[in-house]
Amino acid sequence: MQVLANLVVLTAIYALISCGYVLIYRVSRVLNLAHGELMMLGAYLLFTLASLFKGGPELAFAGAVGLSLLVGFVLYVVLMRKMTGELVIAAVLVTIALGILLRGLMVLIWTARDLHPISVLGWKNPPVPLGGGTSISSVALATILVAVVLYLALMLFFRYTRWGLQMRAVGERPLLAAQRGIKLHAVYALAWALSTFSGGLAGMLLALDSGLGSTMVIVGLKAFPAALVGGLDSLLGAVVGSFIVAAAEILAIHFIDPLISDVVPFVVLIAMLLVRPWGLFGTKEEIERV
Amino acid sequence: MNAPIHRLLAGAALLALGAPAPVAAADAFMIGITADITGPNGIDGGPTADALRIYFDRVNAQGGINGKPVKLDVRDNQSQGARAGADAKSYTSDDDIVLIVNASLSPTYEPIMTESRRAGMPVLFAGGVCPKEVFPPADPLMFCTSAFAAEKDTEFAVTYAHEASGGKAVLGMVSTAIPISRAGLEHGIQVAEKKGLKVVAHETIPPPTPNYAPFATKLKDSMMDWGVTWGPWSVQVRIFEAMRQLGWNGRFLLYGHSVSEDEVARLKDPGLLLFRTSSMFADGLPVHKDVMAAAEGKTKYPTTYMSEGWVAAQAIEAALKKVAWPPSRAKVTEAMNDIIIDTKGLRGQPIVWTKTNHFRTESSYRVYAWNAAENKPKVVKDWAKVEIK
Repeated sequence: MQVLANLVVLTAIYALISCGYVLIYRVSRVLNLAHGELMMLGAYLLFTLASLFKGGPELAFAGAVGLSLLVGFVLYVVLMRKMTGELVIAAVLVTIALGILLRGLMVLIWTARDLHPISVLGWKNPPVPLGGGTSISSVALATILVAVVLYLALMLFFRYTRWGLQMRAVGERPLLAAQRGIKLHAVYALAWALSTFSGGLAGMLLALDSGLGSTMVIVGLKAFPAALVGGLDSLLGAVVGSFIVAAAEILAIHFIDPLISDVVPFVVLIAMLLVRPWGLFGTKEEIERV
Repeated sequence: MNAPIHRLLAGAALLALGAPAPVAAADAFMIGITADITGPNGIDGGPTADALRIYFDRVNAQGGINGKPVKLDVRDNQSQGARAGADAKSYTSDDDIVLIVNASLSPTYEPIMTESRRAGMPVLFAGGVCPKEVFPPADPLMFCTSAFAAEKDTEFAVTYAHEASGGKAVLGMVSTAIPISRAGLEHGIQVAEKKGLKVVAHETIPPPTPNYAPFATKLKDSMMDWGVTWGPWSVQVRIFEAMRQLGWNGRFLLYGHSVSEDEVARLKDPGLLLFRTSSMFADGLPVHKDVMAAAEGKTKYPTTYMSEGWVAAQAIEAALKKVAWPPSRAKVTEAMNDIIIDTKGLRGQPIVWTKTNHFRTESSYRVYAWNAAENKPKVVKDWAKVEIK
């Protein structure tokens, strides 16, 4: 039972992170390899705002979430917009450089020490009993709820809203979409904003649960196989991929060796690339184009 | 034909007149510090570099050592071997530099030691794990002031668990996926078995893991009632917190890095036991007040993180005081080969280096736990001496 609870929590964490990879990729075909750093930036923003607005934890949290959204928008306008029309690989390289830059800046500003935003916010993280001797932390429960709400909201957004339809159109046929009057840059900027929003949210929840340190970047990278296994342009795929990767990791911890759990996501990734390189729910043509 | 020669001579004369006088070796004691400031071990390297800077700024303001100032050349190696090697090469090619301090992770050790041996340059390891070369029989050029030593530390922790539980502890061991941590815990298991303690689990955890609950579940299911861990602080404390989230209520011994003093106050858990070779600033010794006053406002880190760098600075000062002017690498090495470093209480006893032992001849351990009544950490076992052979 506890193993199952752990599986659901880890799936939710990976799903929240991998969502950001998918959002940018499905619209612009760009793989954002700075996603882990942007996730960490969201967590640092929460820490900073929590320190500034002592006594107003909700305000600090809302502010950090809002700033995460803004960071994505600004990054697109200032940096990624200039990559429009260039080779996709050039844009991916820019995201790698961005990641290195952000990592260095974050260490310079916040140092390499572990921080605990939850203490600064004055919140607690008590265990939540689920029955049968099973329990998860309050933040872990919040992570599951946030992941469910976010994915439902995004699915509704893509299906029923004007902006969501425009994003799908740009993802499928950017030239045609532009010819029909859709503002490509606005759509791309929105994709970046939503991506950093979801990544930032994941970073904040991780930081609230177990602290904030420089290794969070690697956690961001570990969610990448989940996105690829599910299919980089599918939100449903991101959830399924997250489940598969989380299950492989947890089974390795319990039945093989905890050490192997570190590489298991990448073993699953390689297996998927050999069998079905576009992922479980990805579009075959899209991958071939990349 | 003569004109160009005249011009060259004139140019040379101008250069000679205008050029600054070369910095004489007699100006200052020069020390090269290569530290992990922005890399994976920035949490130790950064404060160590800051403490050295703060310490020697103060020494210089008070007239220096034997009337000469100490100048530091600090570089960030991010615990990358190539960078550290390049730093070492740069330091050894500067004849004025008489000592290298390394405050970073083990991948930097070999490049620095190779360069140091080539140039006859002494190296002081501080704020990172001590290399085997400093233990008896020590390499003549390698020295270490770092508080921790994996095998000795876990040996003490297991001995304490045995003593405190009356020989009834059921142990779970937790290491991090780095060789030094695993070796330390493997040694701890051997010690436990010799003492007749039951070891029911040994889990090795990869550091960048998003959720510690799966590891904690496995440990809890092993029915351990005492935990022993040694490794980076973030892994030690996160596995402990994950076990508490699962309702495990045993006692857990964590190696108490500098950061642990703040952390024990954050967690306020009486079952969290810190074994340390350094005293805590909460003890309020004059040296603690002194360090806090000196470091206040001069570092981005909490002043309680300054201990490792401060002890290293004390060692350097003690060695340089014995060096007759002008200094040389050989003179500094000779001074360090036979020295007693008074840490003023930052450690359990003075650090003694001999020709064959550049770690310390004795080490002392203390165990701290949270005291809810006084709202501060308390000593639950006072200094216990361990001989280093």
